[in-house]
Formats: sequence, C-alpha cells, structure tokens
Amino acid sequence: MKQSSVVDLLLLLLAIALFATPAFSDLVLSKVERRIDVNSQIARVTKTLKVVNSGSESVSEFILTFPKFLGNNLAYLSVAHSEGKGKSKRSLVNLSVREADSKGIPDSISVYSVALPKPLSKGDTLTLEVVAAFTNVLQPFPEKITQGEIHLVMLQESAQYLSPYAVESQSLSIKLPNARIESYTKLENTKLQGSELKYGPYKNLQSYSYSPIVVHFESKAAFAVAENLVREIEVSHWGNVQVTEHYNVVHRGAQLRGEFSRLDFQARPNPRGASAFRHLLARLPPRAHSIYYRDDIGNISTSEMQSDSKKTELLIEPRFPLFGGWKTFFTIGYGLPLSDFLFVSEGKRFLNISFGSPILDLVTEKLIVQVVLPEGSKDISVTTPFAVKQSQEIKYSHLDIAGRPVVVLEKNNVVPDHNQHIQVYYKFSNINLLSEPLMLISGFFILFITCIIYTRADFSISKSSPTYLAKLQWDEVLATLQEVQSIIQKCLATHDKLEASLRDLSRTGDIQTCKAARKSTDSLLKDLSKELKPLLGFLQSSPSASHISPKVEELVAKEKELEEKLMAKHTTVVEGYEKKSSGRDIENRIASQQQKIIALRQEIEDLLEFIDEI
Amino acid sequence: MAAKPIASPIPVALYPTLSVFTLAIGLVITAIFFIYEATSSRKNRSVGKELATSAVASVFLGFGSLFLLLASGVYV
Repeated sequence: MKQSSVVDLLLLLLAIALFATPAFSDLVLSKVERRIDVNSQIARVTKTLKVVNSGSESVSEFILTFPKFLGNNLAYLSVAHSEGKGKSKRSLVNLSVREADSKGIPDSISVYSVALPKPLSKGDTLTLEVVAAFTNVLQPFPEKITQGEIHLVMLQESAQYLSPYAVESQSLSIKLPNARIESYTKLENTKLQGSELKYGPYKNLQSYSYSPIVVHFESKAAFAVAENLVREIEVSHWGNVQVTEHYNVVHRGAQLRGEFSRLDFQARPNPRGASAFRHLLARLPPRAHSIYYRDDIGNISTSEMQSDSKKTELLIEPRFPLFGGWKTFFTIGYGLPLSDFLFVSEGKRFLNISFGSPILDLVTEKLIVQVVLPEGSKDISVTTPFAVKQSQEIKYSHLDIAGRPVVVLEKNNVVPDHNQHIQVYYKFSNINLLSEPLMLISGFFILFITCIIYTRADFSISKSSPTYLAKLQWDEVLATLQEVQSIIQKCLATHDKLEASLRDLSRTGDIQTCKAARKSTDSLLKDLSKELKPLLGFLQSSPSASHISPKVEELVAKEKELEEKLMAKHTTVVEGYEKKSSGRDIENRIASQQQKIIALRQEIEDLLEFIDEI
Repeated sequence: MAAKPIASPIPVALYPTLSVFTLAIGLVITAIFFIYEATSSRKNRSVGKELATSAVASVFLGFGSLFLLLASGVYV
C-alpha cells in the first residue's frame, strides 16, 4: 500500500516534468506589443503577441497572465488570432478563453488559458490579438479633492510583459489623455511623446520578468459607474419592443472634499468643477421612439435628442452635476420597432438585441437584463457571446392570465465592450395574439349580458302590493299597445301594396294580376283584424288602459274606414279598366275617394304618433 | 440560415385611425342596443336580437379598445 502511493507520487512528478514544463517553456514570444488606452475610466489593453514554438512537441494551449491586482479587475477579455497570410487577408477569429488554476504559477498572478485553433507544431508561429478591459485600475490620487482641484489618477503596470514564456522583444505604449501628466516611472528607453508614453523595446526577457511602473496623470473622463442597472426589454408582437432602464449612477472618481458652491460652478465651470460631469450620452438604436427620462420626482426636462437614420443620440443631464462620490437615480425608456429586432428562423422566433447599457463609457457593476416575452411563449433559450447568469421568472402585465415568461440575465462588471448582441429564442404562435382582444370582447359582452339580465329581473320586494300589480298591468297594456301598433303598421303596408298594384295596372293594363293582389291583401287584412280583436278586448277590459282604449278604438275604426275606402277605390278602378273607360274618366270618379283616403291616412298616422308617446 | 424580420399583423401607423373607426361603430351599436332595451316592453323583447346586437357591439368595442391601447403606447 505504502509502496504503491510512493509509485503514484513518482509517476505524478514524472508527468509534471513531462507535460507541464514543456507547455510553459517551449513557447517563445518573439514579439510583444502592448498598447494601453486610459482616455476613459476604463483601462483598455490591446496586445499583439507573436508566438513561436521552439520546442519539439506541438502545443495546443497558450497561457495568458496578468498581475493579480489587474486580473481581479478584469472586466472583458477576448483573444483572437489573425488568419491568412499577408496584411490584406487578415481576418480575426475569436478563440475560447477560460480561467485556469495557477498550477506551478505564483499566487500573485491571474492565469487564463487560451485554446489554440490548431496545435502549434515545432517552429510554427502564430499571432494573437488580445483585448482586455480593466475597471477600477485608475486609482484617484489624491483620494479626496476640493471643487477647484483637478482630477488626478494613477495607473500601475509592468513595463515588461509578465508571461510564463520567454520574450524576445517587447514594447509598451500608454495613451494618456491630452492633459497634465504629474509623473511617471523613468526606466531605460522611456519616452514621452505628446500624450503617449513609451517603454521599450526591451530585448530577451526571462519568463516572469516584471518591472513596476506608475503613471500619475490628470483624467478628464467621467467616472460614471452604474452600481445597479436593470434593463427591462418587453416584446409585444403588436409591433413594439419596449426598453426600460433603471440607473443607479455614482461618480467613482476622487471624492469631493469640503462644500459644493453652485455659484463657483456656474460662473467658472472649467477650473471650478473639473472633476464633475454634467451629462451622459446614450446612443440608442435608430428609429427609437417615445423616449422618456425621469426619476422618482417626475420628468427630468434637461435632455436633448438628436436622431438620424443610423442612430438616436440622447444627451441626458441629471438634476445636478455629479462630483466624486455623488449618486443619482433615474429611469430612461424607449420603444423600438419590432421588425428591427425580432426575426424568425427555422420556425423559431428570436430577439436580437444589445446586451449592455446604451450610455457611452459607462461601467456597470451589476447588470440585470430582463427579457419579457409575450404570454404563451415556449421553448425559451438564450445565446450570449460571453458567460452570464440565467434564470426565469413570470411577470404579470396588462391583459395577462398565465403571466409572461421573463428571461433574467445577470452579469457583474460590465463594460462597453460587452455591448454585443444576445439572442433570445422562443416559440410563439400568432393565434395567441388574439387572446388579448378576445379578453376585451368578452369583458364588454359580460357587461351587455348583465344589462340584459337586469332589464329582465324583478326587484320588487312585495309581490302583492297594489302598486306592483298596477305596474305589472301597465306593462301588459304597453306590450298590447305595441302589438296593436305593429298590426296597424302592417295594415298600412298592405294598403301601400294595394296602391302599388293599382299603379302597375295603369302602367301595364294587366287586370288579372291586380285582382290576384286584391285577393291576397283581402285575406291578409282579414287575418290582421282577427289578430287585433283579442288585443282590443284586453285593452277594453283592463282598468289601467281606460284612458287609452278610446284612442285605440278610434284608431282601429279609422283604419277600417280607410280600408273600406281603399277597397271601394280599387273596385272602381278595376271596373273602369274592365269597361275600358278612359284614364281621365276613372280619375274623375275616384278623385273624391282619393281625398278622403289621404285625410284618413293622416289621421291614422297622428293617432299612431300619440300612442307612441305613451 | 435566413432570418426574416417579424412585423406586427397590422401596421403600427394604422392603430389610431382603426381605433377611432371601430370604437365609433361599436358605440353606435351599443346605443342601438340600449335604445332597444329602453323602448321595448318587457313582454315583447327578443333575446336573440339583444344577444346579436350585444355580440356585434362587443366585438367592435373590444378591438377598438385594443387599438386605442396600442395607439396610446400601451403595448399589451
């Protein structure tokens, strides 16, 4: 037992000697160029590394190292390698990077492992392009300044490239803002050209060579940090993507010492408040509309917007200038056209939208992106170009039953380099779109049904009280009256038909059809008068209809009279035609009847109007 | 992979006009419904006619109010 463990240990040591050591030592960096840009609050480092394999075995992993104090503040890291020979055919291909455990590497160094696209065999070279962004590495110094002082910051780096590999030649250039430079570490081969500080080239460096440098300079950048940013992206298939962003911004530069004088600030803003920033610029997507900017108090009117076909720029000015350590809270929101961000591919829909904040040069300490999908979305998946924490929630909003699925993405330490597009895939059927109007329709329908039920309901308490009974009777009278009215109207319509048949007769001279029309109207009128009889009987017997029944009787009588006159007229005309009398003769004969008919018709209509008003 | 952009079923610019017209029609039919309710006596009121009028009115009012919500920026 003991023996075997000793053998194991020996094997392990052998393995380390065989595999670990060559991986670190066989590669040589023939040329390293580093450029650090500190014009904003973020230190953005780009490196070009020319890697040569001088060993005998092929290598498929490259180790990237940073001093721990930088590595802890690393916000963004991307490694690409240029493919194709010659400058014209250069295209960058991103490589996968992961945080590695620092096996055999000192603790004060952060280690990242890069998987090479294909193993690097003996003597081959490869060029890697590394982009890294660091936050919080520009330390304000002094840490507290008054309103009038300028904002000085300090950058610590190493003049020599820290690497587990030997470096043949390396150089470093630091691009400083165009302002005052307090001091910088002077080593051999140090040059300051304008606002660019150059170290190197340094030749033939051992692995892990390190020589600290400190640059102390004035920064005019806005040290705006969003401690907390919640972006809510709500998709509506009715044609809108609504983005709402809740900001919690703090100035992370040197703290303000002493009091703030608004008078000094307004009178001479430049020397008396150089460390403060007044506004932030948000670059929104093109065709953004319904933009608002507000906080808990209400709308903040100090904002400006410019838009063209490529972008929408929103200049937002907080209610007060921000000095070191000061905080402000605000919300901005905007709507985006659906067709710019939502696509369908292979039966799945996907939202393609930018991940980070649209505000330029803003560092976000904690970013929460909530993508609210329409109710009824299924099979949700997210693709992001970098690792984020994912979870799902349900949100209840307008006209929801089951709630809308929400994809929550969380990421700490987000810099503008993270403003890449993320895709949220989901399945959605257009039939679900109809659920909202159906809900509204059923709401209105229920209202109408309630009305129908209400008018039919009987709310009286005492069913035997005289007033209630009277009301019931009166209702019956009214119903009967309406029936009488409708019958009379039908009679009048029949009369009209008869008149029309007479007109037809005068035009065509066809007596037979006219007689047939007469017959049918006769029977119709007979039926109607039969229907009328019980109604009239009811009205006469009903005590509550006593004041109406004479009128109704008068109406019915007049109608009878009109009917008789009309029939007489009809008979006269038909007889006239049968005897082949002249048209004038017939007209003369019916002229007196015609007058009576018109008068009766008028009277009937007056009576109907009177009954209608009851 | 050809990704096709998705647009709304009805152009967004049409929502205000549509909401005015559908709501106007809906309100007129609602008025007809209530006039019928008020003028006809309890005895000879027909349920079929009432239900038909109210159904048509609620379809127009439902879509009208949806378009009104969308036109005023409440994207449901």
